[in-house]
Amino acid sequence: MDGPREPASAASAAPDRRVAVVIGSGSVKCAAALGLMNVLEREGIGVSMVIGCSAGCLFATMIAAGHSTEDAAALTRRLWTREIASQGNTRSLARVLLPKVFGFDSQFGLRSDTLILARLREAFGESHIEDMGIPLYLTATDFGDGSQAVFSSGRVVDAIRASIAVPFLFSPWRVGGRLYLDGYMADPLPVGVAIKEGAEVIVAMGFESPYQDNVTSGARFAFQVSSILSNNLLKSQFAFHALAHHAEVIPIIPEFRQRIHLFDTGKIPYIIEEGERAAEAQMPYLRRLLDAGSPTRAAAGS
Amino acid sequence: MDISVNPGGSVTVVTINGSVDGLTADQLLATLDAQVDAGRTHLVADLSGLEYTSSAGLRAVLGTVKRTRSKGGDLRLAAVQPQVFKVLDLAGFTGIMKLYDDVPSAVASFGVQA
Repeated sequence: MDGPREPASAASAAPDRRVAVVIGSGSVKCAAALGLMNVLEREGIGVSMVIGCSAGCLFATMIAAGHSTEDAAALTRRLWTREIASQGNTRSLARVLLPKVFGFDSQFGLRSDTLILARLREAFGESHIEDMGIPLYLTATDFGDGSQAVFSSGRVVDAIRASIAVPFLFSPWRVGGRLYLDGYMADPLPVGVAIKEGAEVIVAMGFESPYQDNVTSGARFAFQVSSILSNNLLKSQFAFHALAHHAEVIPIIPEFRQRIHLFDTGKIPYIIEEGERAAEAQMPYLRRLLDAGSPTRAAAGS
Repeated sequence: MDISVNPGGSVTVVTINGSVDGLTADQLLATLDAQVDAGRTHLVADLSGLEYTSSAGLRAVLGTVKRTRSKGGDLRLAAVQPQVFKVLDLAGFTGIMKLYDDVPSAVASFGVQA
């Protein structure tokens, strides 16, 4: 946890211009948010809140905690490796194959979460969301009713574990008596949280889920179905938020010419670079909005 | 942002250059509204010089689409650049609007020659 960056909220933006950074779901591609933060920092643009979904929660938390890009990248490499999903959950497997014998309940996941939990605890310890340098909001999906859950307090580890509970892969996670699934199932790019919290300018970094080149296994079939659903949900939710509210939403969608797989942490430098590139392209517009005064007032009536 | 209007024939071409965001969307909407108010409901937006649109620009476009269609017309897009297409696609606009490679094709889609 060495080398923290100056909290972005302390940078030069005027306090009445509430800028939110929203980091959508996207596994290791979410590291592109570090590139975005590099650009914002270079431009002296302060951030009033950070919102994360699924793997975006990891980076949102590291940003809110003030980690430097190098520190966050190193932490990700240690945390997000193929091993976290490599150990099977034999209990769940037995339950799905013989439910009458072993019993079946909602704590179903084909992979053990022992290692990911250990690594999250190693990375974030007992830190709480409400103690971050920048207000932090982490989203998950309520398993009981499908609604979006927003964690703005409580243990970071619980919120992240809940938000990365990929259906079928990791079991839902219990927090305060309720079970939660991966945040992408409610909204892969939770712009609405920023709007609700009063952000005027929302820098939203989102990622489309990749489609499978070849569907050669049950897992790939499941990933393909999941990608179709999440990409369509991403578009419909973004459309709703962009059109229904007066906050200024600036979408930043990095272009990855290289294929990024789920645990491609070796490509983090490239991912950050693409995040920077995508962010730099939007900076003239963001700069103009911030220089011109309240974007809400400027956008009113449009 | 620069806007120019060419009301020639039964299709009006509105050329939008630069960027549409919270600071400029009002101007765009006022220009488009003025066309509809004047009875020009067959509109083509030439976006070959549009570099960027934020959510405010999307709202202006959608408002005009609704107004023109309610009067039997339409707003169609021509020469959308990749970076703008990405935002339009993300917001679902490519599913509800007609897009054309260039202005003549968009104008012709209304059943008239460019």
